[in-house]
Amino acid sequence: MPDQPSQSSEPGRPTSRRTFIQALVGFSVVASLGGVLIPIIAYLWPSAQRTATKGERVTVGDEKDLPVGQGKVVSAGDKPVIVVHTAQAGVKAYSAVCTHLGCIVEWQPSRGFIQCPCHDGRFNPATGAVISGPPPQPLPPVQVSIENGKIYVEVG
Amino acid sequence: MHKANWTTRTGQWFEERAHVSEVVEGLLHVDIPKNAQTFYLGGLALFFFAVQAITGILLSLYYRGSPEEAYDSILRIMNEVHFGWLIRSIHAWSANLMIVCVVLHMLRVFVQAAYKRSREATWVVGALLLVLTLGFGFTGYLLPWDQRAFWATTVGTEIAGSVPLIGPQALEFLRGGAEVTGITLTRFQGIHMLVLPLSLAGLLVVHLFLVHLHGLAVPPGTPPEKATQKMPFWPNYILDELIAWYIGLAILVILASMFPAGLEAAANPLNTPAHIKPEWYFLFLYQSLKLAPRTLVILGSFVGLSIVFLIPFIDKSPSREPKQRLGWLIAVVVVMTAIAGLTVWGAM
Repeated sequence: MPDQPSQSSEPGRPTSRRTFIQALVGFSVVASLGGVLIPIIAYLWPSAQRTATKGERVTVGDEKDLPVGQGKVVSAGDKPVIVVHTAQAGVKAYSAVCTHLGCIVEWQPSRGFIQCPCHDGRFNPATGAVISGPPPQPLPPVQVSIENGKIYVEVG
Repeated sequence: MHKANWTTRTGQWFEERAHVSEVVEGLLHVDIPKNAQTFYLGGLALFFFAVQAITGILLSLYYRGSPEEAYDSILRIMNEVHFGWLIRSIHAWSANLMIVCVVLHMLRVFVQAAYKRSREATWVVGALLLVLTLGFGFTGYLLPWDQRAFWATTVGTEIAGSVPLIGPQALEFLRGGAEVTGITLTRFQGIHMLVLPLSLAGLLVVHLFLVHLHGLAVPPGTPPEKATQKMPFWPNYILDELIAWYIGLAILVILASMFPAGLEAAANPLNTPAHIKPEWYFLFLYQSLKLAPRTLVILGSFVGLSIVFLIPFIDKSPSREPKQRLGWLIAVVVVMTAIAGLTVWGAM
């Protein structure tokens, strides 16, 4: 059978059987692919983690274990947080994820700053500001409070 | 026409380097007997295997194969992961449908006597594929690590342990120790996710190559003028096969949605639940073990399986006419009726 030219775009003229079937097959193929791919993509998409919810306060240790000049990295709802007891600003907490490339920063007690081991980014423990190195931004602060001798941080 | 030029040029670039068109030409552009009756069963088995490969890979992204974590990871797939219940149910149902298709495919080939010279190797490789398919079912059953999984595997491996002469060694080899433990789980996981898929994929290539080499058999009784009629494999047969796959997918989705895969309580090695049964395709063995001595059932299974493998070498007569193979046809009807009867009995 000779291929008939498509007539569907011309108003008032009937759609040829070939064009109609082509559209029907095209629709079926796209709908089927969608029906298969959408559940697969949704399946691969990470579902909510069962961890501490945002805004919740979690205890990270006792105040007496963190004298002035000391600091440590703790886990707060699966997020690493660095808690430092500074002489000038008291107990401060920041996200321990370096703003440069995501390494975990550490406290340098002898030198008095927070340092990233990957590219030597240095941060001020009192403010979280960058002292030197490649990090583009200061460490994001984390709410910290002390109640009954225990240090609490807020999950961000 | 800029786009056409671009696609043509890309096609030519690949063609110069990979010579794809020669391979495609050889694989697709062949003529097959117009009156071959495959009922698309082999192709459907292939389709269900592909579905299991895809859903199996997806499940492996969330599954954790240790006794402490396996059950919880399945619970998480079923309850928390989007469409996790559907993916797992499709995986389980396509396993069942694949076994149905493989068995019906073999019965079709047997009834049409399509295993005769020179298709003996195709049959033997096909029988190996059946064994691997059953192995998939057996090893996959343990992975959810629930009560049914644990105790069905305990009983199943115990049966292997009663094989004369090599039984105790077979049992320890399968379990990775004297009992079903975490070692058994990781062992079955490795076999289910690596050994069997690679073996089956390799044998499948050999099977399909042999099918391609010898072509489809025309059913006996086809009039001579019809027996020589041909039709193009592509697009005629492929299109029919795709329609069969499409129907297969629809059946699969309906079954998986209406009867999702279940999960019992977590495995407890100190508490055997009542009425432990294997998957339906092992029920005939389970029921036989209730009726006859263990050694007899095991030896009978070995003899039966050996006969399946050796059919093309036992039935050497060149005739494919049903009238001249009445004995074989009656035998297969009797055996299949017995297996079906034992399966139904075992399920009750």
